[in-house]
Amino acid sequence: MLKIDRRIIFLVIGVCTLLPLLYPVGLPIKISPEVRSIYDYIETLPERSVFLLSIDFDPASKPELHPQAIALLRHAFRKNLRVVAMTLWVSGTGMADQLLTQVAHEMGKENGKDYVFLGWSPGGSAVIINMGQDLYTAFPSDYGGKSTKGIPVLEGVQSLKDVAYAISLGAGNPGIEAWYVFGKDKYKFELGGGCTGVMAPGLYPLLRSGQINGLIGGLRGAAEYESLVGKKGRAVAGMDAQSATHFAIIILVAMCNLFYFSLRQQQGSVPR
Amino acid sequence: MDETSLGAWMATGLTLFIFSFLYKDNPLFKLAEHLYVGVSVGYTIVKTCDAVVVNQIYKPIVDQGEISLLIPVAIGLLMLTRYVPKAAWMSRYAFAFIVGLGSGLAIPRTISSFILKQIEDTVRPLLSMAGGDGLTFSMNVLNPASSINAVIILVGVSSVLFYFFFSIEHSGPGRVVARTGIIFLMIAFGAAFGYTVMARMSLLIGRLTDLIEFSDASYGRPTLWLALLTIAALVVLSRRAASMPSQSE
Repeated sequence: MLKIDRRIIFLVIGVCTLLPLLYPVGLPIKISPEVRSIYDYIETLPERSVFLLSIDFDPASKPELHPQAIALLRHAFRKNLRVVAMTLWVSGTGMADQLLTQVAHEMGKENGKDYVFLGWSPGGSAVIINMGQDLYTAFPSDYGGKSTKGIPVLEGVQSLKDVAYAISLGAGNPGIEAWYVFGKDKYKFELGGGCTGVMAPGLYPLLRSGQINGLIGGLRGAAEYESLVGKKGRAVAGMDAQSATHFAIIILVAMCNLFYFSLRQQQGSVPR
Repeated sequence: MDETSLGAWMATGLTLFIFSFLYKDNPLFKLAEHLYVGVSVGYTIVKTCDAVVVNQIYKPIVDQGEISLLIPVAIGLLMLTRYVPKAAWMSRYAFAFIVGLGSGLAIPRTISSFILKQIEDTVRPLLSMAGGDGLTFSMNVLNPASSINAVIILVGVSSVLFYFFFSIEHSGPGRVVARTGIIFLMIAFGAAFGYTVMARMSLLIGRLTDLIEFSDASYGRPTLWLALLTIAALVVLSRRAASMPSQSE
């Protein structure tokens, strides 16, 4: 067992992922407080409040963050919020535009009136500071090249101070931390976050200290949000496979330890 | 074939080529890997040029007459003097501007957000005033703001900091504290690794979901055909490698 061909392990993980995707079981999904707090906060926002969604990831993190973005947009559009979307990742602009257009079309929302995609602006974290001073200097035009001044959805919005709630869906830097450091801490708006599973443990200290009011972590968080919104999608569909692979990994770890210690006991010393 | 089907065939093929690395390194994997790098860089360059050079420099200067934008353009152009050895010194002004501005923006805000705020959260009061009950000590582990969690965090932070304090030998009571620090570190590493496994499995689920979707007849079943093609290519490559004399001979 300790000298097993690693390709057998790949095969086991592949089968454990594939079978639940083909034949879903529908295991229950428990909603965590950090995901619920984002949902609850959006629920409390009055209609036509300004909701800023910063899509700070690229296609490499699509499996985890794309379902989060779709669920959040569905919720925001259902609440009739004014959605202002943007990205701090140049490599994610096309994907962000596509997903926003897709959900807006599905919810019957109109570009410019109900939502706007500002696109990407150079400067990384400095863009956030620029937006805090004047949104129109940071984004003189939207993604389609139309001047942002005079767009109905931005009526009464001058800077980040006019944003009711902002969420950064981040796969790295710049992302949630940059939005807190250069945005919320300076311009005092409420901030939530969504991130990849790898990043989640590092962001829990921000959650506990109240620096962000909620956190959607990885595919699991996306599945919880999809359940809250009541429209199950790719994340919920992937939860059975996630559970199956985790179970397989736990079994493999336990078996390897078992074989390792039994071998050591047989040899009477640590194998080298 | 419409653009959606073409995209499905491309995505399926490249996914299978990348997955073929799990069997062993091969030219199909190399092809997909190089395409990924090339397309990513090309996309970034085009998007950056469009957003910066066209939309934020050319159009405002030419269409709206914003001449003041020539100042940042000139500072940016100074960077390019790095390629001319005799004029390379001029690029230092641009770097000085960027480093100075970046540090000025980042240092105070980072200290405020990640050091002061986190210290404030670490040294929370262990006892709290709740209603008319006077001072209380809440034992609810599931509540992040409970007193017991404040104690756990205080002990964890102190012991881990002590573990990394190498000026004192970790013996006697110090050994107990350092060991406690190691336990906290191991729990943190375990949690981080668990989340990493979850993230990697999510990526696999994402690709397999696409492969299942693209096995549909409406796309022309690219998953089926390209899987067969990939397997056949791997068999041929493997046989060719076996029939060729090894380099050592």
